[in-house]
Amino acid sequence: MAECHPVGFQWVMEAKRRGAKIIHVDPRFTRTSAVADLHVPIRAGSDIAFLGGIVRHILETGRYFHDYVVTFTNAPAIITDEFRDTEDLDGLFSGWDSDKNQYDPKSWAYEGVEPGQSGTTHEQSTGEPLSERAQMQHKHRDETLQHPRCVFQILKRHYSRYTPEMVEETCGVPQDLFLQVAETLIQNSGRERTSAFCYAVGWTQHSVGAQYIRTATIIQQLLGNMGRPGGGILALRGHASIQGSTDIPTLYNLLPGYLAMPKAKKDVNFAKYLENNHAKGGWWTEFPKYIVSLLKAWYGEHATRENDWCYDYLPLLTGDHSHMTTYAAMADGLVKGYFIVGENPVVGSMNGGFQRAAMRKLEWLVVRDFQLIETAEFWKSSPENERGEVSSEDVQTEVFFFPAAAHTEKDGTFTNTQRLLQWHHQAVEPPGDCRSDLDFVYDLGQRLKALYLSSNDPKDLAIQNLTWDAKTSDDVLREINGWTVADRAPVEGYTKLKDDGSTACGCWIYSGCYKDGVNQTARRKPASEQDWVAAEWAWSWPMNRRILYNRASADAEGRPWSDRKRYVWWDDAHHKWTGFDVPDIIADRPPSYRPAEDANGLDTIGGTDAFMMNADGKSWIFAPKGLQDGPLPTHYEPQESVMRNPIYGQQCDPSRMEWRRRENPYHKAWADPAYPYLITTYRLTEHHTAGGMSRWLQWLAELQPEMFCEVSPEIAAEKGLHNGGWATISTARAVIEARVLVTERIKPLRIRGRLLHQIGLPYHWGSKGLVRGDSANELIAFVGDPNVSIQESKAFTANIEPGRRGRGRGPIAGTQEGESGQWRDQPPARFKKPGKHGVVTARNISGEET
Amino acid sequence: MSATGITYYDRPVLKEPVWIWTVPAYIFVGGVAGAAMTLGLAVELIGGSRLRAFDERCRWIGAVGGGIGSALLIADLGRKSRFFAMLRVLRPSSPMSIGSWVLATATPLSAGSALLTLQRDGVLRAAGQLAGASAGILGMPLATYTAVLLGNSAVPLWLITRNTMPLLFGASSAASLGSVFDLMRLNREEQSIATRFQLVGRVAELAAAEAVERQACSNERVGRPLREGVSGAIWQAAKVLNVASLVLTIMPGNSKMRRRIAGVCGILGGIAVRFAIFHAGKASTRDPRATFEQQR
Amino acid sequence: MPTGFFTDTTLCIGCKACEVACKQWNQLPSDGYNFTGMSYDNTVQLDASTWRHVAFVERPAPVSEQPVNSFSWLMLSDVCKHCNRAGCLENCPTGAIIRTEFDSVFVQPDICNGCGYCVVGCPFGVIDRNPTDGLAWKCTLCYDRQKAHMEPACAKACPTDSIQFGEIADLRTKAAARIEQLHGQGVSAAYLYGADEASQPGTEGLNAFFLLVDRPETYNLPPNPVAPAKRAGPSWASMAVTSLGLLAAAFGAVASVRGGRR
Repeated sequence: MAECHPVGFQWVMEAKRRGAKIIHVDPRFTRTSAVADLHVPIRAGSDIAFLGGIVRHILETGRYFHDYVVTFTNAPAIITDEFRDTEDLDGLFSGWDSDKNQYDPKSWAYEGVEPGQSGTTHEQSTGEPLSERAQMQHKHRDETLQHPRCVFQILKRHYSRYTPEMVEETCGVPQDLFLQVAETLIQNSGRERTSAFCYAVGWTQHSVGAQYIRTATIIQQLLGNMGRPGGGILALRGHASIQGSTDIPTLYNLLPGYLAMPKAKKDVNFAKYLENNHAKGGWWTEFPKYIVSLLKAWYGEHATRENDWCYDYLPLLTGDHSHMTTYAAMADGLVKGYFIVGENPVVGSMNGGFQRAAMRKLEWLVVRDFQLIETAEFWKSSPENERGEVSSEDVQTEVFFFPAAAHTEKDGTFTNTQRLLQWHHQAVEPPGDCRSDLDFVYDLGQRLKALYLSSNDPKDLAIQNLTWDAKTSDDVLREINGWTVADRAPVEGYTKLKDDGSTACGCWIYSGCYKDGVNQTARRKPASEQDWVAAEWAWSWPMNRRILYNRASADAEGRPWSDRKRYVWWDDAHHKWTGFDVPDIIADRPPSYRPAEDANGLDTIGGTDAFMMNADGKSWIFAPKGLQDGPLPTHYEPQESVMRNPIYGQQCDPSRMEWRRRENPYHKAWADPAYPYLITTYRLTEHHTAGGMSRWLQWLAELQPEMFCEVSPEIAAEKGLHNGGWATISTARAVIEARVLVTERIKPLRIRGRLLHQIGLPYHWGSKGLVRGDSANELIAFVGDPNVSIQESKAFTANIEPGRRGRGRGPIAGTQEGESGQWRDQPPARFKKPGKHGVVTARNISGEET
Repeated sequence: MSATGITYYDRPVLKEPVWIWTVPAYIFVGGVAGAAMTLGLAVELIGGSRLRAFDERCRWIGAVGGGIGSALLIADLGRKSRFFAMLRVLRPSSPMSIGSWVLATATPLSAGSALLTLQRDGVLRAAGQLAGASAGILGMPLATYTAVLLGNSAVPLWLITRNTMPLLFGASSAASLGSVFDLMRLNREEQSIATRFQLVGRVAELAAAEAVERQACSNERVGRPLREGVSGAIWQAAKVLNVASLVLTIMPGNSKMRRRIAGVCGILGGIAVRFAIFHAGKASTRDPRATFEQQR
Repeated sequence: MPTGFFTDTTLCIGCKACEVACKQWNQLPSDGYNFTGMSYDNTVQLDASTWRHVAFVERPAPVSEQPVNSFSWLMLSDVCKHCNRAGCLENCPTGAIIRTEFDSVFVQPDICNGCGYCVVGCPFGVIDRNPTDGLAWKCTLCYDRQKAHMEPACAKACPTDSIQFGEIADLRTKAAARIEQLHGQGVSAAYLYGADEASQPGTEGLNAFFLLVDRPETYNLPPNPVAPAKRAGPSWASMAVTSLGLLAAAFGAVASVRGGRR
């Protein structure tokens, strides 16, 4: 966190100053470890085993926060008797369909609950699984937590073999160190104290990434740390506003505010869409108000009840449009044109060689950035061009480059990792032709509308009827906040949104950010003039609530768990919730309220339903729906590992995404003799992601001028690597070179008496800029997590040799012509069909109907 | 943690002096000029009328030496056009400030006195004599302050020898002046004075060099550059040349050739002393252990 | 009112925001792009165009008395010390280097003629001459920002307040309290470097002082820095003696020849 979020890290230092203990778990000793109280070196890719070990330890020693668990989690819920755990099936759960290579979650459901039509099979990954969770209310519970099929007992059994010995064998963490972490965590949780987890892409960028976070949530639920001050899980995002880019999404499968994107074949009309996403209970029962208000914002007076609020204008998902899937489709000639705005995929994403090969099939490409990044010049500045395999004359893609304005040259908000929207003001005019993305998109929309103005084709109404008058960032923020249609007065929050077309709102979770006509995100009252919650600095979603689920900071009767940790509580005298923050519960709902059997909508939310985004109002230790690879996190090895899975026969995440193609060869699943070392990638403070913002800036470039690898003295001695010298690192995908930094910070781990070596690679460099170098991510294959299709860049295998790489023509070391996957020793995982991109070609992937 | 040998990746602590070759060259030229002015003072006061020409010669050597010296110093400046800033203030804590003033006043005084002694008598001649006397007084610091300047720094070798270096530079200036005279045509009287002055200087120079070396090597690492490397070689060469000059000077006989060779040896030896000290000092800044050990 | 820096290395996370902020505020050029292999330090040293430099030392020894990790990574943001007895200032012949109203040491770039005497006068190896423009440069303690009642760029940018700026008296009090706190936490190796005249008589105390947890040499700091002029006395005395010797030799030479010929 100190490396990648130095400014945010000041609060960790402040906590440390006040006596907090900082534990840092990371394969490397980083600048965070330097100021932490405890550093735990861990094998990259084994965190679920580590966290699962903590879960087991908590349960084994009985020191979970009993009252919290019973009141707020689904630990008492009873699961259907068809459920089989990984303990029964050697690493698989019940419901695995080996033809379709995916799970049917029917056997994970709560006892007595019908999963519902949308929950049975899913062809596409869906992001925020509204439809999956919406039906799940559990009817049968055992508050003594003894029933053999209650979540608590299932959990216990599931992690029973994650002993300290198993943790040592799997993660390389010595038992006493592991127990020290577990004990510190347990002793600092409960009524009087809370502990927090902070994580970033070291957890997410794995083929089983989403489950890493799930394991942490289980720990935090057992220890009663969610919704409490000083507790929780902080998801540190990759850059300043990536939280915003999932809230108001640049993700293909979400509508603003985590509403589900409609799917072709299923959500064929508005009624079906509502039905498929209907929630039986909890806050998502309000969902129709949000989608209607969103459509009113987009289509204005054209959206009426009669035409289903113009729902039919919305595009429907026909498949997986995630990044790697789209690039694979691009490589097959199925994508005609592409916009790349503010990213540099050939450096930052995986298997750059494959991505460039894909882009060479595009007819046109638009790139917006400050600099001519490697992606913008993929056609002439690439390893393939350098090796003479590709010449720029042969690339037919027409590339348009638009210079972009920097954040100091435009108004707008960032939404950071705490859901905090902070407005930034334009300080200077953008130079030359540089323009903001807003200006660009607004102008583009104007021109499109002009082009389609005279069309009579019904499909073009979607463009013609789009409201397009939000020209400035301020206009956009007002639309996001929402207004009453009649008078354009800003709404004060999402509780005021309606499903009758009288309100419009661009993003329901942000509603309230322009409350009372004041730009709440621009507020800057100094901390010295506020209380410790400091609610008048900027604005957080939802409703300026700073800690989500804060109902859980009080017990079943609404009294704080302790005086020391009081946050929100029930004020019986005034019949309302009160406290230091906006209470995350209906303001006047007493703690004793229990919904009637036939309750609807918000009446289904009980007085102890802190986690009201789930239909049953409870936090889910066991996730009966919503995750593709299991209701409980399970240790799986990365796609390419240095060892067999010590816990199960099932080596990898069964539902992971693979691309078995010539351009994307995989190593053997474990101990591939050609690639014996475990590699992990990471960032350095001095550079920023794929380098577009730092490699062109002299003051940053000089701080870390060259691509380098970090190796232990042991590997250096073994392979003849010298500090300051060169090394060549290779996988079946690519060969790169890097300077060598020999350091004790990346110690080998002792596992079963053998030394396991890890090598570290920062991934910031590319072929252009003031400082240049090979890109680490060229080495990595396309592999994806099944839930969110994120890449696996944090644990893979490679080989390392001293010396620089060759420069001439010739095949990359390790690539093999011929059948893809012939040397891969695992059965193929699921191939997700890409969505259609509106291109009709002679080739189809398969003859399948969409 | 072990006490010895800790450094930061073997990186130097100090900055190496940024001065170029013109600085040790100036130390030599300025030293000769200063010694000349001082000798001229003695000649003027007690030399009598027959040595007036010798007096004038001394003053010219002082003036020309001061002029060349000033040019050498200006050549080393980062901003040559601002050389006059040297006289912007007088800062007693800075030997360079003192020395700049000394050089800037002694040189024109010496030149002025050389010119004015063309006058046989009268006010101008008196003025010339006064100028010459003043230059003579200033000549002493001129010949020796550069050692204080070097020693008034953090450079380990110069710092450690700061008390013996003035002796070395002063003595060497006298000896080098004598060697310069060896290349000139002098009459017997002038020759005698020059030789005696030179011999006192030369013996003192050799003794002072020993003292400097001993003081430098009282810390092994600090003194290493005088024993090793390029600077060590130049230091050795200086010793050899100065001894040769001494031997050639005291050998009986009147051979002009012998005188010339002795002169050349002495001049080269004097130059070598300055350059050896200069480069040895620079080398000592590159060794962090020298700095650390000296301070511990 | 004397102001300065208290740099607490136990709070440093090595982010180098101080280096970048300083360069940006003062529009200093980069020093070239060289991978050094010296841990994460590619800047190497303070010089004419680098006025804040973060040093990194990896060592197989713990910081505190409870060696949970038998490894530590020390980081220090180095800067000009703005000594109370400043070798550079006392050496400067043009008077370009002055003591400001904030007690900082400032090089006036319109007066400096690049003589380089300050460079050898600094026992910390801070100030240097820029080969491009020939002038001597170093940290100004953001003289321009201080005049505008702003804190220096590095202190402002430092996210963890490792670099604290303020009145020296206040900083000394804070520093003493911090030492006590650290000792209480088992970091017995923590100490102050250059905080006052008593602990560093050679400079009579620094206006930019540090909290360290290892010997100064580890961070490339001199253990006993001295402003040269403080011990130049004997050198001047030696010069005086030599001068008299020169005079005596001159008179002696003339007299002995003249005397013989009278």
